[in-house]
Amino acid sequence: METEAIRMLAAGLAMGLGAIGPGIGIGILGYGAMQALGRNPEARGPIMTNMILAIAFAEAIGIYALIVAILIAGKILG
Amino acid sequence: MPKRSFLGCSVPLVVGVLLVFLALFLVSLLSGALGKSLLGDIGLPGWLSVPQPHPELPAGVVFHLLGFPITNSIIAAWLSIIILVGIFYAATRRVKLVPTRLQIMLESALGWLLNLCQEVAGEENGRRFFPVVATIFLFVITNAWLSLLPGFGSILITNAEGETVHLLRGANTDINLPLALALISFIFVEYWGIRSLGGRRYLRKFVNVGQFFRSMGQLVRGRLRAGLSGMFTGVIDIFVGMLEALSELVRIISFTFRLFGNMTAGEILLLIVAFLVPWVLVLPFYGLELLVGFVQALIFSGLTLVFATIAVTHHEAETA
Repeated sequence: METEAIRMLAAGLAMGLGAIGPGIGIGILGYGAMQALGRNPEARGPIMTNMILAIAFAEAIGIYALIVAILIAGKILG
Repeated sequence: MPKRSFLGCSVPLVVGVLLVFLALFLVSLLSGALGKSLLGDIGLPGWLSVPQPHPELPAGVVFHLLGFPITNSIIAAWLSIIILVGIFYAATRRVKLVPTRLQIMLESALGWLLNLCQEVAGEENGRRFFPVVATIFLFVITNAWLSLLPGFGSILITNAEGETVHLLRGANTDINLPLALALISFIFVEYWGIRSLGGRRYLRKFVNVGQFFRSMGQLVRGRLRAGLSGMFTGVIDIFVGMLEALSELVRIISFTFRLFGNMTAGEILLLIVAFLVPWVLVLPFYGLELLVGFVQALIFSGLTLVFATIAVTHHEAETA
């Protein structure tokens, strides 16, 4: 296959596969937070703060995948 | 019978506004790239279409100052510094007991940040971490929100080498600024840790050879079993210490890429949506960008706060 085709494929795969993990991770985080909120609605502040913090960690991984996709598609890498 | 109103506006006004939005949306659908690819070129005037965006990652150089290239993101960062300093100066020029509206706004923002710091880090540590954390938060959020105003990414200027570059670009989209902020956050976290716990005690978290040498001493004195098991734990301790040190350094990279990736992705998203359907459809994405800017500022400063809190707490398990 020609380089351009593989480049486009690589960029798409990088972003697509890289988004599976963070998506599932953030979903699990939300599930845990909802459960905790249901059991103890008064602890809403700390639960939300910690959930947002943990979601940021998970989301950063997805952003790494996006950066790799941009670098490949923009011909900056390879 | 009371007149029906939506959000305080009368029904004809709301219907009129909705019709205008619908007309704008239809025109932009036809003139944008989406409409052009579906329906072909109808012949609407050229100024209704947006040129295809070419996002480039390195920031374009606008001029040179004393040998340093001044890029468009540096100019944007200067702009946000001027705005921040100007607003805070204007609000605190004559601090009154009965505050003016600007003073109330800024006091409530700073009070919220101080509350956040003290909630996470405790009373006195929160007050100690507050300046750096609040500065990082305000700087990142000003950069992020300022880059949504018209003028960022649309004013073109020709620089000394003859290339056309944008005059202003969101400061967070240049990788150097998130890197600088991440380094500052790293340096401050280590500084606070060393200041609170004392140099040797803080660095003992990373170079954890105490258990290893203690167990060697036990071996020499003839207590084989205790010595060997202690040596095993000692090796694990050293390894864990090295991993901790590595994770501190990797934190810099993850801070940088989190902020840079979110902001650049948002900028590219806005450019592409504006290219596809120029007018009404961009509004929800602007809302998303506002939210993302706020959340990323909160995450950056909040993570700095959390890591600083971890760095200054005594390791109760080690000091048993």
